[in-house]
Amino acid sequence: MRELREVLFFVLKEKRDVLLSIFFGFLAGLASVALLASSGYLISRAALTSNLTILIILGACLKLFSLTSALSRYGERLFSHRATFSMLSSLRLSFFDKIVPQAPGIYRKYRSGDLLARIIGDVESLQNFLLRVFYPPVVLAAVFLATIFFTSFYSAQLAWILVAGMVLVIFLIPVLFAWRMHRIDIDVRIARSSLSTDATEFLYGFRELKIHREMDRRQEQLRTLALDYGERQRKAGLERNFNQSISGLAGLLVCLAVLAVGAALADAGELDAIFLAMLAMIAIGLFENAPQLAALPSFLEESRQAAVRLDSVTGGGERTGHLEAAPLAKEVVFEDVSFRYPQEARDALKNISLTIPAGGKTAIVGPSGSGKSTVMALLLKVLEPSSGKILLDGQALADTEEESWWNQVAPVLQENHFFYGTLRSNLLIAREDSTEEELHFALAQVELSHFPLSKNITEKGGNLSGGEKQRLAIARAILKNRGIWLLDEPVSSVDSVTAHQIYRSLFTANHDDTFVIISHDLSKLEEMDQIIVMDGGTVVEAGTFAALMAEQGYFYKLKQIEKTVFTV
Amino acid sequence: MKELRALAMEQRNMMALLTGAVLIKGLAMVLQALFLVLVVDGIFMKGDSFSGIVLYLWGLAGAVLLRSVSGYVIGRIGVSLSTRIQTNMRERLIRSFANDPLQASMEEQSGRKVGLLLDSVDEVDGFFRQFIPQMVQTAVIPSILLIVILTQHWATVLIILITAPFIPVFMALVGMRTKEKADAQMEQLSRFSGTFLDVLQGLPTLRLFGQSAKQKEQIRSSSLGFRDSTMDVLKSAFFSSLALEYISMLAMGIIALEIGIGLVVFDNVTFFTAFFVMVLVPDFFNSLKDYGSAFHTARGSLSAAERLTATLERDPTPVAWGEREMTAGPKTMTLEQLSFSYGTDFAVKDFTATIEPGSQVAIVGKSGSGKTTLMHLIAGLLPTESGRIGIGGEDRRTLSEASWFRELAYISQNPYLFAGSIRDNMLLGMDRRVEESELLAAAQQAGLLELADSLDEGFDTPVGEAGRGLSGGEKQRVALARAFLKKPTLILFDEPTTGLDLRTEKLLQEAMQKLGGQATVITVAHRLHTIRAADLILFLDDGKLAASGTHEHLMETFEPYRDMVRLQQGGIAG
Repeated sequence: MRELREVLFFVLKEKRDVLLSIFFGFLAGLASVALLASSGYLISRAALTSNLTILIILGACLKLFSLTSALSRYGERLFSHRATFSMLSSLRLSFFDKIVPQAPGIYRKYRSGDLLARIIGDVESLQNFLLRVFYPPVVLAAVFLATIFFTSFYSAQLAWILVAGMVLVIFLIPVLFAWRMHRIDIDVRIARSSLSTDATEFLYGFRELKIHREMDRRQEQLRTLALDYGERQRKAGLERNFNQSISGLAGLLVCLAVLAVGAALADAGELDAIFLAMLAMIAIGLFENAPQLAALPSFLEESRQAAVRLDSVTGGGERTGHLEAAPLAKEVVFEDVSFRYPQEARDALKNISLTIPAGGKTAIVGPSGSGKSTVMALLLKVLEPSSGKILLDGQALADTEEESWWNQVAPVLQENHFFYGTLRSNLLIAREDSTEEELHFALAQVELSHFPLSKNITEKGGNLSGGEKQRLAIARAILKNRGIWLLDEPVSSVDSVTAHQIYRSLFTANHDDTFVIISHDLSKLEEMDQIIVMDGGTVVEAGTFAALMAEQGYFYKLKQIEKTVFTV
Repeated sequence: MKELRALAMEQRNMMALLTGAVLIKGLAMVLQALFLVLVVDGIFMKGDSFSGIVLYLWGLAGAVLLRSVSGYVIGRIGVSLSTRIQTNMRERLIRSFANDPLQASMEEQSGRKVGLLLDSVDEVDGFFRQFIPQMVQTAVIPSILLIVILTQHWATVLIILITAPFIPVFMALVGMRTKEKADAQMEQLSRFSGTFLDVLQGLPTLRLFGQSAKQKEQIRSSSLGFRDSTMDVLKSAFFSSLALEYISMLAMGIIALEIGIGLVVFDNVTFFTAFFVMVLVPDFFNSLKDYGSAFHTARGSLSAAERLTATLERDPTPVAWGEREMTAGPKTMTLEQLSFSYGTDFAVKDFTATIEPGSQVAIVGKSGSGKTTLMHLIAGLLPTESGRIGIGGEDRRTLSEASWFRELAYISQNPYLFAGSIRDNMLLGMDRRVEESELLAAAQQAGLLELADSLDEGFDTPVGEAGRGLSGGEKQRVALARAFLKKPTLILFDEPTTGLDLRTEKLLQEAMQKLGGQATVITVAHRLHTIRAADLILFLDDGKLAASGTHEHLMETFEPYRDMVRLQQGGIAG
């Protein structure tokens, strides 16, 4: 339950609406019991007399109670849903607050967008916590207590039977079944996740499976998993159905007991028989809604797990330093830096040392998987080195406040996000107060002048090609223009003529700035002040283009291969 | 909704059982009311002693039990029906995925398909588990109750018959008004959660540009705006159930009044009848109300059902295979007038070529010229729309699929590694025992040995879900090791365009040479040395064979090829 503390906190924040839902729920529940009770009593009464007043009272009571019940139910629903949606909104914000300090680091940990989609699903599923877990038992208990209080005026014995029934139906049975349900639900989840994993492999590895004649076996395996998942789901469903039936049966049996004891009491003269119908109807009305509670443990468990998952995503703690980053005057130095991704067996970077001079142009090249992008992530403080130090003019990056460092750099990442909206809104992210001229200038620099600023951008920039996204990401960096350019494969999807054009205008317009460019494309590196060559997580060599070519080392060989590769 | 209902109706036994259980439940409800009334009537009106009504109490206990048991059975059938249909759907989906040859080339849709198999199928649960049983109950139980009431007091039935139709009429009226609103709301809902997702996904970008605080404000306002517009729709939904409740209450009020008049004024109604009717009538209206809420659940299943039907109704043409075993050894391959399209435009059109056994063939062309599609056609991963592939003079469609793939290796730019150890991945699809020495030899030839040595667990190192932890070059080497173990006679190789480390480059070259010794090798070639060494170059342009021949021949006769090579040579010069 500890996990749900925060959710509970947000529920309690909607105090007024929650109290109102409880109040109206109570009123609605009480009115519907009263409706049945009064009809039972008044019919008995009417059978004995031929007095018309009874009839009028009968009609008036039925009207009053039915109207109250219907209206209160309306109010209950209204307030409980409003509280729920307000709570969800607070939850989203709080979650957003917590994930912000962890971005972008966390995104490297969970690369797939699916995880984020699941997070959203988890937040949404917490709505059941208020609607189905938190307030219904309170309402039900209150209705029970009020009714039992009322009954006690007629017969203490019957009141006790109702108390016993209440304990049984709203406490004992749900708790007992919650315990059984817990294990069954775990089975279902395990079966689902293995089905999901296998389906993913089946579809993504389709070609390999086909060619290696594994298709039939895998298909059969997947089918077995689907059957297994279905079977477990069936078991869970049957269990849930059984719970509800038992809960319903228990309620009916309590009603039966009330009737039997009531009849015995009436027979013994301890209870006026005229109340028998009323008391029987009270019991029926009271236990009518009890089976709903049987589902409560499942919702509780679901909410708990959603809360746990959300917690596990955001529970990383903050990593930022406290020192302001001063404008870079001299250099960025990597001192013996190693990095290993969590849960991986090998270092992604092994003891690398390098120097990036301020005002110079540095290129980092190397084959895919050589660690170039990891260097960029460390440089951006998206990742922290496992060992070694990164120094900005001698100040450790680890002690530097990340926002102040980001404020100095204009980044272009491999994956650049574009939001649903317009081209203008997407560019303004880089600098809010950009003028119209500046926006047009940035677009011109990346050779996209033909794009109107009002152009619609769909989610994740779905209507842009890979090359267009890269060029727009560069346009953002141009708008931000802070003197340090960190570009990770900025033009890998742009045709080479345009790419060189863009580089040329960047270098001309900002020739005193610091550039760090990661690229697997080895052409046009002649103008760089320094080329750092990486392979297998280490720096193989570094130097100017001319020096590296003269050395005839690793870079030279890569260059030879590149010359023979057609890039049409 | 029709299709889903038909699916339920297909389960005849279950539906029959369900109907039976519902009939019993209806009966039990009547009996329960009857015995309850008999007990009260006995004690209260007739002045019976307790012992006089004990029998009725037993009857009531029996009725209560019967009602619970039949209710349990109905629920059970709902669960079984739902899981059975869901499992059937999953089996059909898996079959349809497995038989869809396009899957081989449409990787990007795989995530959507996983969602279909898991989430969409899960979402139809409500329809079968709740709606179908409720539908049957609402069809049967109210009629039973009406008949019973009719035997007691016809006027009540008359009132019910007059008032009850107001419920569907009113629902329809409210429904029409809110439907548009609700649909708009659904759209906003998906857009809203889309926006939230969008912002979360873009968070790294936002943070690097210092924009996250502003976005928070936006999330807050859109979240609250969303709450308010949702409440608008919910209000009308709640209002309709308020009205529903009120109509049924009103009907019950009229009935009570009518019975009351009979009871008090005319004395032509007995207490027994009055009480009996008053117990049964709420059950009647409850059954209608339950249908309303079950219908709401059913609506939630519909969009998932639509997605599922759309996928299941697609009927892909499978690749045709025969029965005959293909003999081992390289064979002449003739491609005769091959065509294939992904829909409207031809990806490959009228492609004709002859490939000699053991030769090296290079396929060249711009991106989008149909190279990969051609490779998939040759591999037997896509069906030919027209044309024929001859293997050693015979139509490939007469050969068995297993014997064809036994002789084939396909090394793509980004090979997929399965969850399991490196060893498992090397041995993928091996149907014979592989000695450790053979495995080591293959690993050595593919350059995997030092990788395995650098890992604590060697060949038993797990490589995660999508082979995480290995670089592109290392994955290529695992794929090569597979080929060395398999000893195929036809090798299809999609040459990497960029990004390989020097060692993998060298390994790939050497390995292709070794593998090519006893096999035909067809390469989508990007490297000049591969192309130069080829016995036959196939130059693709827009899905058609523009020219073919050796390097020298094409240099002499085919200008686009000459241009392409010259451009590359220019690169060397500068």
